[in-house]
Amino acid sequence: MKPENIMTEKDSMELITSMINKAKNNFTERGLLYLIWGWVILGCCLISFVGSYYLHNPKVQWVWMAVYLVLIFQVIYIRRNRKHRRTRTYTGEINGYVWLVFMIALFLMIFICISFQTYQLIDPLLLVLYGVPTFLTGMVIKFRPLWVGAICCWILALMSPFIPSDFVVLEIGLAVVAAWITPGYLLSKRFNKQRGAVTA
Amino acid sequence: MEFKDLDPILHSQLRLAVISLLISVHEADFTFLKENTNATAGNLSVQINKLKEAGYIDVKKQFSHNYPQTICRITPKGIEAFDNYVKALQTYLKV
Repeated sequence: MKPENIMTEKDSMELITSMINKAKNNFTERGLLYLIWGWVILGCCLISFVGSYYLHNPKVQWVWMAVYLVLIFQVIYIRRNRKHRRTRTYTGEINGYVWLVFMIALFLMIFICISFQTYQLIDPLLLVLYGVPTFLTGMVIKFRPLWVGAICCWILALMSPFIPSDFVVLEIGLAVVAAWITPGYLLSKRFNKQRGAVTA
Repeated sequence: MEFKDLDPILHSQLRLAVISLLISVHEADFTFLKENTNATAGNLSVQINKLKEAGYIDVKKQFSHNYPQTICRITPKGIEAFDNYVKALQTYLKV
């Protein structure tokens, strides 16, 4: 750094720009929750499909209870992370609310579909819903794999009326690979690269 | 053209760096500021105190897992001062 008394106006402007860019490029998202949710949902989809299509065993649907375990893990993880975090960003706060709204909408949608006994609508509507927070987060943090993944979810949702209902659960598996697992690994790679650059 | 005086509190390399980082985030801890400004802990601590005394930032001290943690956040007065500083710079640079 130059001595303070010879800082020119141009130096000041460059310093401001450089610091704002540093803060903007401080990636706090390591993709862990995308990966955990992605792999758990993918596993549930595959078990559910094999159990119902090949084994004709309705009890296999209990596998979806794993979602509650992930939910408990998520609450603990977020609370723990909150204590360790070094910055609170405006984008982080917006994303938090976006995913909260998604969870609320998800539970309301499942509750309504079950109440009206329109079970066949659950999977296509899940595909529509998955795309919403994924797209918004992708746009807010300017991360292309997320919004591309969201568009994949909506294309799969559009295809669902033309696919035998037993196979729609496999579409959900494909959707989580596109929208959560792939971006999750890419986010993790970006986070580790940044951490390597800081510690180097 | 009228040239505005540059705020002496902000016209210092490290204090300006700290304020520029804090304008971009909701709040940040001491380590984040230290890593991004490449300043020494002692110097950064002194400059943070100066910004706090000027009312430009709020400083909150807390414990995180038994370790002390200093959290800084820009105040509305700090935002206004930063805005005026940038406008003054623009008149000098004719941006």
